[in-house]
Amino acid sequence: MFKYILENAGNINWMAISALLTFMVIFMVSVALVFKHNPAYINRMASMPLDDSNPVNSEIDNHEK
Amino acid sequence: MAQVEKFSYDNAIVRKFAYASIIFGMVGILVGLIAALQLVFPALNLGIPETTFGRIRPLHTNAAIFAFVGNGIFMGVYYSLQRLLKARMFSKALSEFHFWGWQAIILAAAITLPLGITSAKEYAELEWPIDLAIALVWVAFGINMFGTILKRREQHLYVAIWFYIATWVTVTVLHIGNNLELPVSLWKSYPVFAGVQDALIQWWYGHNAVAFFLTTPYLGLMYYFLPKAANRPVYSYKLSIIHFWALIFIYIWAGPHHLLYTSLPDWAQSLGTVFSVMLIAPSWGGMLNGLLTLRGAWDRVRQDPVLKFMVVAVTAYGMATFEGPMLSIKSVNAISHYTDWTIGHVHIGTLGWNGFLTFGILYWMLPRLFNTKLYSQKLANAHFWIGTLGILFYAIPLYWAGWTQSLMWKQFTPDGFLQYGNFLETVTQIIPMYGLRALGGTLYVAGYFVMLYNLVKTVQSGAFIGDEAAEAPPASTWAVHAGKEHWHRWIERRPVQMLIASTIAILIGGIVEIFPMAMIDDQVPRIESVTPYTPLELEGRDIYIREGCLGCHSQMVRPFRSETERYGEYSKSGEFIYDRPFLWGSKRTGPDLHRVGGKYPDSWHYNHMMDPETTSPGSIMPPYPWLLRDELSTKNTAAKIRTLQKLGTPYPDGYDQIAVDDLQKQAKMVAESLRKDGIDAEKLEEKEIIALIAYLQKLGTGIKPAPQAGN
Repeated sequence: MFKYILENAGNINWMAISALLTFMVIFMVSVALVFKHNPAYINRMASMPLDDSNPVNSEIDNHEK
Repeated sequence: MAQVEKFSYDNAIVRKFAYASIIFGMVGILVGLIAALQLVFPALNLGIPETTFGRIRPLHTNAAIFAFVGNGIFMGVYYSLQRLLKARMFSKALSEFHFWGWQAIILAAAITLPLGITSAKEYAELEWPIDLAIALVWVAFGINMFGTILKRREQHLYVAIWFYIATWVTVTVLHIGNNLELPVSLWKSYPVFAGVQDALIQWWYGHNAVAFFLTTPYLGLMYYFLPKAANRPVYSYKLSIIHFWALIFIYIWAGPHHLLYTSLPDWAQSLGTVFSVMLIAPSWGGMLNGLLTLRGAWDRVRQDPVLKFMVVAVTAYGMATFEGPMLSIKSVNAISHYTDWTIGHVHIGTLGWNGFLTFGILYWMLPRLFNTKLYSQKLANAHFWIGTLGILFYAIPLYWAGWTQSLMWKQFTPDGFLQYGNFLETVTQIIPMYGLRALGGTLYVAGYFVMLYNLVKTVQSGAFIGDEAAEAPPASTWAVHAGKEHWHRWIERRPVQMLIASTIAILIGGIVEIFPMAMIDDQVPRIESVTPYTPLELEGRDIYIREGCLGCHSQMVRPFRSETERYGEYSKSGEFIYDRPFLWGSKRTGPDLHRVGGKYPDSWHYNHMMDPETTSPGSIMPPYPWLLRDELSTKNTAAKIRTLQKLGTPYPDGYDQIAVDDLQKQAKMVAESLRKDGIDAEKLEEKEIIALIAYLQKLGTGIKPAPQAGN
C-alpha cells in the first residue's frame, strides 16, 4: 500500500523518505515530551502575556517536579 | 520578596514603527488599487514608464510585505518583547538605527522599483546594494533582540519569542541564500544560480518569505496580543509548543509547490507537495489555538472591535492555510496555477490575516501608548465591516476569474481543437471580475482611511508615555535548577540554544532540497542546441526584466495538451541553463512567451509594443512607446558578458571586447527586417525595441528552428 503511494508520488527517493521519517520521529517525540509537562508550569506560561504588571519570577516558580 | 528593580519600557520606538506601518500600509494598498484599476483601464499608467503595471506591481508587493507588515512586525515585537522579558530594549542606538535604516530601505525600494531597477525575483526584487543594507539592518535588529533577551528579568521565554527567534534566523538564511549574485554595475547584478536551480532557490525563498515574514512573526504577535485583548490565557500552551516546532520544520520544504508541472525535477515537486499538505496540521494548530483562546469571551467579540478584527484575522489565516495545501495538490494546482486564484489566495492572507491583525493591534495598543481611550468604537466597527466587505469583494471575484480562465484555457471542441484558441478571449471574459476586485480594494482603502481618522483623533486626545515605568525582580533571583528537568523548559531558558535548534530545524529542509539541485550537474540535462544569449538578446532580456514583463507573462509551457496545443512543445529544464535570473513568472495575465520566438514577424512585435490594441484588439496590455523612442545603452554590455563568463556562461575568451560590435551587427539585421515590412524611424537600429525583439525571437528556439529576428 505505502509502496504504491510512494511509487506514484513520482520517483520519490531516499531524501523524501528520510525527511518524512525525520519529521515523524521529531514530531512524535516532541508530542510525547510535551504531554509530560507539569500542568502548573504550563498554566504559568500560558498566562504570561497577562502578567505585564505583575512579574512572575522563578522565586515563586514552584512547579519543579 | 526579593528586591525589585525599577526600569522603563521604550514606547517611543514602538510608536515610530506604528506610524511607519500605518503610513506605508496606506501607500501599499493605494498602489495596489492603482494596479488593480490598470487591469481594467490600462490607460491609467498615463503613458509614464514608472507607473506602468509591470513596475508598480513589485512596488505594491514590496510595500505591503516589507513596509506595512514589516513595520507592523517591528512595532509588535518591540512592544511585546520588552514586556514579556521585563526588560527595556538592549540598545537605544540599535533601535534607532533599525528604524531609520528600514525606512531608508523602503525609500530606496520606492525609488528603484519604478525606475525598473530590479533583480526580477518575486519579493526579492531589490538590487544588491539594497540587499546589503537589508542584511545590515536585519543584523542590527537581531543584536538588539538577542541583547534584550540576554539581559531579561523573566527566566522563561514565552512562545511569542520563539516565533520571533525563528523568524530572525530563517529570514537571515533566506535573504543570503536567494541574493547570491555577482554585480555588473552599481544597480545591476546576475544571480549565481541559473534556470531551474535559480527557480528552486527563488521559491524556497519566496514561499518562506510568506512563511517567515508574513506568518511566524504574526503568530508571535497573535500569541501576545490576542490573550491581552481577550484577557484570557492562551488556550493550549502544549499545542503552541508542538505547532511551533512542526511549523518551522515543515514550512521550509514547501517552496517547490510554486513550481509544480514545471521543469523542476519530479522528486523536488513531490517533496514540495508532501510537505505542503502536511502543513495544514501545524497551521490549523495555531489557528485553533488562537480561536479557542477566546473561549468564554465570545460575548465580548460582538462589542469589541479589537477582538472582531483579531477573530477575522485568525479565521483568514485558517482559510489561507487550508487553501495553501489544497493548491499544492498537483491536480488542483493544474487548474489554479498562473490564474487569479493565486492572487485571491494571497490576499486572504495579506488583507485578512496580516491587515486585520495589524488593525486590531493598533486599536488596542495606541490608546495605551497615549494613556487614553479609542476615539470612536463606532468608527472602528465601521472600519471592520467595510474592510471585511472589501476582502470578500476582492477575493470572491478573483476565485471566479481564476476558475473561469483556467477552464477556458483547457476547453477543447469536440473536434479536438482549443475552444478559445485566442488567449485574449480568456482575458476579456474576466475583466468584469477585475472591476469587482477593484471595488473590493476601494472598500478596503476606504476602511483604512476611517481607521486613520480614528487613530489620529485618539492620539490627539491623549498624552504619549514615552518611557513606561515598570518593575521586576532581577535575574539574580532566578532559582538554580538542579537535577533532571523537562527538555523544553530547559531550552526556553536558553535563547542561544533555542536559536541553534531553530536553525537546525529550518536548515534540514533547505539542505535536502537545494544541495542536490545545486551540486549535481545531471539534475539539469544539457541540450546541445541551446546556446547563450547574444549581446543584443541579453540587453533585450534586461529590458524585459526592467519593464516587469514577467508580472503578466510566464515562460514555462507545462506538459498539458491544452498548453502544448496553444504554445508548442513543453519546456525542458535544459533550455534554461543560461537564464540568469530565470523568468518563468507566476501569473498569466497575458499568454506564455516561452515559445514565442519565431511565432510572429519582427514587425508584429514592433507594432504590438507601440500599441497592443493594433495587433490584439481589446488587449489590456499597456503600450510601451518609450521602447521605440529610447536608445539602447551599451555602456554595460561588456561588463555583463564578463560577469556571465565568471558565472560559467561559455562565451569565448575576449568576447567582451567585441560584444558591442556583434550587438550592432545583429541590431542592423533586425532593423533591416523591420524596414522590409515598411517600418522605419531615425536610427531605428539603435532603439531599445530592437533588443527586445531580438530577445523575444530567441525565446524557446533552442529546441526548434532558428529565430526570426533579423532573418
